[in-house]
Amino acid sequence: MATAPQIQSVIDYRHLVQDGRLHGSLYTSPQIFADEMEQIFHRGWSFVAHDSEIPNTGDFVVRRVGTQSLIAVRSKDGEVHVFYNRCPHRGATLCQTSSGHRSRIACPYHAWTFALDGRLIGLPDEAAYPADFSKADAGLTPVARMDSYGGFIFVNLIPNELTLREHLGHATELIDALLGLSPTGRIQLSAGWMKHKMRSNWKMIVENQVDGYHAPMVHGSLIAANRTFATVRDRKPTSPTRVRDFGMGHSDIDHASDYRAAGDRLFRWTGGIDPERLPGYVKAMNDAYGPEDARRRLIEGPPHSMLFPNLSLAEMNIMVIEPVSPQHSIQYTIPVFLEGADDLNARTLRRCEGAMGPAGMLIADDAEIGELTQMGVANLEPEWIILSRGMGKEEVLANGVKLAGLMDETSQRGFWTHYREVMAASQEVSQ
Amino acid sequence: MTTATLERSTLSDTAVEQFLYLEARLQDEHRYDEWEALWASEDTLYWVPRRQDADPAREVSYIYDNRARLASRIRQLNTGVRHSQAPKSSLRRLISNIEISRNGDDVEVQSNFILIESRRANLTTWAGRTTHMLAPAENGFRIKRKTVVLVNCAEAIDNLAFLV
Ligand code: FES
Ligand SMILES: [Fe+2]
Repeated sequence: MATAPQIQSVIDYRHLVQDGRLHGSLYTSPQIFADEMEQIFHRGWSFVAHDSEIPNTGDFVVRRVGTQSLIAVRSKDGEVHVFYNRCPHRGATLCQTSSGHRSRIACPYHAWTFALDGRLIGLPDEAAYPADFSKADAGLTPVARMDSYGGFIFVNLIPNELTLREHLGHATELIDALLGLSPTGRIQLSAGWMKHKMRSNWKMIVENQVDGYHAPMVHGSLIAANRTFATVRDRKPTSPTRVRDFGMGHSDIDHASDYRAAGDRLFRWTGGIDPERLPGYVKAMNDAYGPEDARRRLIEGPPHSMLFPNLSLAEMNIMVIEPVSPQHSIQYTIPVFLEGADDLNARTLRRCEGAMGPAGMLIADDAEIGELTQMGVANLEPEWIILSRGMGKEEVLANGVKLAGLMDETSQRGFWTHYREVMAASQEVSQ
Repeated sequence: MTTATLERSTLSDTAVEQFLYLEARLQDEHRYDEWEALWASEDTLYWVPRRQDADPAREVSYIYDNRARLASRIRQLNTGVRHSQAPKSSLRRLISNIEISRNGDDVEVQSNFILIESRRANLTTWAGRTTHMLAPAENGFRIKRKTVVLVNCAEAIDNLAFLV
């Protein structure tokens, strides 16, 4: 029987992603979405969990990376392992809850039982298997590569040529800046994740995380309703805040440049808490870093950044973007607790709730605009999205980092430039 | 129980139920100021936890509004350009399984709700269990504390920018 001719529909990413414009199908095409899961999320480094989420032996979290469900678990020797959430016997899902604690991992189907390091340690009626059956070969399957930086654990399911450090590049400075707000250099992600259904493509969420252009419009209602929010930073086009393209798809909105320009006030990044109300934290920072450096850190605050492809250090929150389909994503949000800063942490928690998540006075409106944009780009015309604001006017530093004004689309172009390289390069190899 | 006390408790139970229905209607119809006026003037808490039995001092909640933040939330909705509620969702909720207990003057009310949200082409079902702490006041009650535990609070949820 003759088979239908194979459709050769290789997508030309170098055409769809141009320097100042993008093709609308990038947000809607199921084939592009499938390519992205493979090329970006499976063949590249993605954030999976933070060390502090699983502090004790037997603690685990279940996370989705690309299309894959993964278990990150801490074993007896204190090591973190990341396994596919699939029983090696006949494929059942091993962990159903998004987090928990187990002394061993037992499959609900036929009770094959695994140690926390993945070894198969027990199965009912083992003698019934043939002589060549080897328990040693039937343990949990770890991901191909796992590495961490500052407690942030990343995985790479289909190994590419980059180390995690090469992938992170200049973005390690952003992680360092966040960790450096703790007197011990450590953070704790222990407050639980809010999970927010977004009716938009994952890349729209990426773009919006580092968009300095939309706040006066999308967040105008909050600016009008909340004086603290309205006054804490300069949102005008003339703001000293820069957006930065770090290369490798990482970018940020560098609010520190605004806080520095505003001068002497510590803690603008907390909404302007009086330092006298945080004596324990301020003292711990002075002791840890010396008064001058502590002062700098407390003026500059945390990064507001997007690390390719799914991790956002969103000031005192961590946000993770989970693609679900071309039109749907889940956004995860957790407040950042700084070790050694209990007095600040209590406030960080309440601040996160006010702004972030499905009921947050900030993010619910971003979600709404994302949905409207997703609906908009489903229309075939105009074909192209315009992404050229500030193009060609960037300042390029000696290390290649690009700087531009708060409202310039330099940060999004940084993402897309890398996206194009990853998507086109892997395709060129496979052809 | 004498006839007189039975009548009094029946009457006030009815008053409690009527108060819940009034609150539900004000929320459904986005009558923000009238809803805010149902709250006591201070020391209030409007809490939507992220899981049953959460510790709000250590865990993040969807909503954990003291009186000032509640006022801010209402001010934002009243701007008319809170995009996640502009246009407003069309809402109707049913309240049932009401259980009332009294502690001195205060009334604790537990109830279940099912809420249908229509927004553009999406019809979303919300459900949960609400606990109200009510204090008697002129013309009825004032809300001192309201906790809403959504049945799907541990899963990913849609925008929750309307009043739940
Ligand atoms: S599928 Fe897991 S034990 Fe059979
Ligand atoms: Fe925003």
